[in-house]
Amino acid sequence: MNDLNKTETERFSELHLELQDWLAGYVDGELDDHRTAIIEAHLAGCKACCADVAHQQAMSRRLHDVPVTRMPSELHKRLDDALAGAPDHPSQVPGTTFRFNLRQWLTGLYHPVVVGAGGWAVALMLAGLLLFPDASIIGHDHIPMVSDVLADYQKVDLTDLPALGNTAEVLVPAPLAGGRLLATWSTSVGGAPAQAFAMRLGNSLVVQYRISEHVLFQNPDVRQAMATMGGYRTRENQLEVLALPIKEAGLLVVGPADAMPATNEFDLKSA
Amino acid sequence: MRNAQNKQEFDALTRPWRDRLFSVAQRQARSREAAEDWTQETLLRAWRDFGQLADQVAVYAWLLKILNRVVADDVRRDARRHQLAPMLTTGDAFLQEQACTSSGPFEQTVQTQGNEQIMTAIQALPDNFRQVVLLRDIEGFNYHQVGQILDIAQGTVMSRLSRGRRLLASLLIRAESGDGLAATSTHSGKST
Repeated sequence: MNDLNKTETERFSELHLELQDWLAGYVDGELDDHRTAIIEAHLAGCKACCADVAHQQAMSRRLHDVPVTRMPSELHKRLDDALAGAPDHPSQVPGTTFRFNLRQWLTGLYHPVVVGAGGWAVALMLAGLLLFPDASIIGHDHIPMVSDVLADYQKVDLTDLPALGNTAEVLVPAPLAGGRLLATWSTSVGGAPAQAFAMRLGNSLVVQYRISEHVLFQNPDVRQAMATMGGYRTRENQLEVLALPIKEAGLLVVGPADAMPATNEFDLKSA
Repeated sequence: MRNAQNKQEFDALTRPWRDRLFSVAQRQARSREAAEDWTQETLLRAWRDFGQLADQVAVYAWLLKILNRVVADDVRRDARRHQLAPMLTTGDAFLQEQACTSSGPFEQTVQTQGNEQIMTAIQALPDNFRQVVLLRDIEGFNYHQVGQILDIAQGTVMSRLSRGRRLLASLLIRAESGDGLAATSTHSGKST
């Protein structure tokens, strides 16, 4: 009896040690179904591992909120000088031979779009993306900053834009070729102050929002898209929202989906 | 003329990431000067290899991969690389002091600690653990991407992250109880 108990205890102990290295994967949803089932069975009888999972979740949440450290302006200048003096190495510029990552693009699209769109529509979208590399369209599932700017945009009436004194003195976060500034106003996005800049682009109204960087990087899906695709795009009905990092802030751009500029059309250097 | 355009394009792609790149460098460096040097070296190498950038939209991951090599080159002779990493398990006593099935007390511990305290604790982690914690929990990459940036298998990302978070938790618990941030260990093993 004792031997049997000892064996079971040993077996539990071995499994317990083996599973220590899987717990992060369980917390982050990176385990396959089989391993997830093993972990969950173990957690049901192991208080120590339950506590570890709770600790890891709390830690991960806290670390998400750690802010970005600002680079001192002298370092920006030092980097500019170093790069200006660097030899002209690149023999091939990636921008002219952009290698399209089809898998990444497809996984980033709304599933119904992939399933429902017909051949020519898909071909046209593919051609567009090949010509204009850009962030993929991702669902936003009620991300507060996205909902806020969509609501703000929908309140704007072209004929009743807040008056703007001297547009020459206003710096748009990301100037657009052919875009004309119409108005600017203060608003709130994601619970933090933000500044809106309404621009006419052809016959369309495009509004840029300079928002706090903290708000921009608050949502893990947005952070993931920023990290892997350089930006985040989402749509609701006929409107599109583009999120980009700019210097010491975030940029959200809202406009009609068919009139939204590609990411590389924004002059982010002056942002 | 073409080179000027290349540099302009390079600048437009990399400038938005400068602050985040510097942040990651600073969280690994033991001095601000070292972080500045690493950031500069990373951008110079990135410019040198700009023609090899396969995917412009993944420019930040590419920059971090270069930064990782810069850091590795710089600390190659550093004794810390060869230290034995503390190997904690979930059964270690002081982790159990805050054991519970909900995150309540520990959540309070991490929420009440300032960003500087958190970063001090992260800097006290062995290099291998610190890298995965930074890339996963602060920079938001998934395991596949962390593995690509660090050139390690996803399973290694997972094990280092499990151990790194556990060690970080122990450091924060000890800091909260006034024991300081000295690395603690009940078992020792080479970090994998």
